[in-house]
Amino acid sequence: MTSLSSTTSSKAGGIFASLRGWFSEARNTILFVIGFLLFWELAVIVFRIPRYILPSLSSIIRQFVRNFDLIWEYTLITGYETLVGFVIAVAIGVPLAMLTAFSRILRQTFYPFAVALEMVPKIAFAPLFVTWFGFGFIPKMIIVFLVCFFPILLNGILGFTSLSQEMVYFSRSTGASQLRMFWKIRLPAALPELFVGLKGAAVNATVGATISEWIGGDAGLGYYIQIATGQLRMDLAFAIIFMLTALGLLLFYIVQLVEKRMIPWHVSQRVSVFGKREI
Amino acid sequence: MKDLIQINGVKKVYQSKAGPIHALGPIDLNIREGEFISIVGPSGCGKSTLLLLVGGLLEYEAGQIFINGNLVNKPQTDIGIVFQTPVLVDWRDVLGNVLLQIEMRGLKKEVYIEKARNLLRSVGLAEFEKRYPFELSGGMQQRAAFCRALIHDPPLVLMDEPLGALDAITREQLRVDLEQLWLLTKKTVLFVTHSIPESVQLSDRVVVFTPRPGQIAEIIEIDLPRPRTIAVRESAAFQQYIHQLTSIFMNFGILRDTVSTNQQKAVVGEE
Repeated sequence: MTSLSSTTSSKAGGIFASLRGWFSEARNTILFVIGFLLFWELAVIVFRIPRYILPSLSSIIRQFVRNFDLIWEYTLITGYETLVGFVIAVAIGVPLAMLTAFSRILRQTFYPFAVALEMVPKIAFAPLFVTWFGFGFIPKMIIVFLVCFFPILLNGILGFTSLSQEMVYFSRSTGASQLRMFWKIRLPAALPELFVGLKGAAVNATVGATISEWIGGDAGLGYYIQIATGQLRMDLAFAIIFMLTALGLLLFYIVQLVEKRMIPWHVSQRVSVFGKREI
Repeated sequence: MKDLIQINGVKKVYQSKAGPIHALGPIDLNIREGEFISIVGPSGCGKSTLLLLVGGLLEYEAGQIFINGNLVNKPQTDIGIVFQTPVLVDWRDVLGNVLLQIEMRGLKKEVYIEKARNLLRSVGLAEFEKRYPFELSGGMQQRAAFCRALIHDPPLVLMDEPLGALDAITREQLRVDLEQLWLLTKKTVLFVTHSIPESVQLSDRVVVFTPRPGQIAEIIEIDLPRPRTIAVRESAAFQQYIHQLTSIFMNFGILRDTVSTNQQKAVVGEE
């Protein structure tokens, strides 16, 4: 019996085994989410909450299905703004963080300036950008870029400057060039902190896109939410919010996936989300 | 034996907000080739500074240091270096960390793998070469750091309180292992410590530093048989050396018989 079950599980392959492993680990989380959704559905019915205040889960799903074509069209628009803004922020933020970390002049001039700019509520610029660039793609992309850029830059600088003095001494005693030291030590050492910035940016990205669409947009999920709430169609608004959440999660998980591949050795990767240590 | 290192009238002054701090010197000291030499002194006396100066990792204000007749005026690469913390990189396993020394030097990794394994075996890490630093105890990490300092066969190894951050029992064992490693490799070792028994157990000579600005108070030859087994460590001669060194610190006023000060802890360590 034992031998049979073990052959079956090995035949079934790693996928099922790992799925089962994942489920047993995530069981409590999944049960909680299901319980929460059930509570929502029942509470709306039992307490007779009007649908223009809080719609039931079932009506949200109905709206989601009925308006899926438009939701999907707008998802692509908002997703595009989010992705382009994020990618440009990475492309500029990471090299600039590197330069700032290694240049004394930039650390004295640009760095304090960047810290001050980080404090500026970037969203406040949205109306200006509408005036300057109109209602299209550009002003949204710039807002997304701005809300992503600073976490990447500041955490990147932190990462690239976090090497211990002893590690610097060791490197110098090997006679390694700055370039080799960068590839072998500085860059990998900076990655954990850099990914903190990238994940922060991923969280900000969809927020930036949504709000900039509220302020001046003629398409996209943020714009659609405004239309829906304007007509008191809260079930539709929630359906769009769910889609936005999925969009944000997607970006976040992509970053996390890259992180897992790049820094499996880091302490942040050794603790599972569900709180069980994997050592 | 000929001298490997000559230190002539070296002085170090740090610039601080409160003005210049005379940290060290002038120091005159010759270190023989193949010798295990310890520097013992109270906290802040500049003993670690001297080690960094010899490594060419800090600039000095006066005097000269020569290694093998060459003036030290830039980071020295013909050395191995070990600090109080292991300074391993998290993203490489133990073997990879030892070979980091080789890769940083642009040498061929393949040539050194066998040697790295031998070194790891000699410090009891043979079965741990695929483990990552976070999977190892502090003592094991420090053993890996020793291997990394020796893999490229440097004539000189600088050790800055390498056992200082370990618990008492691990520390005891690592002293024994370190002596063993030294007997095998016969490197010149410059060893900084604040533990008197440690310096006696490991050294051919112990250099005692005064409080800041650190100067040489006395140099004591430790004439005890090697390896310094438990029998040797419990011998009257060994105790006599400890007594002799302790008296020097008592004369400084760093050690007193009546009150227990922080400085006392700093000098005698865990003993």
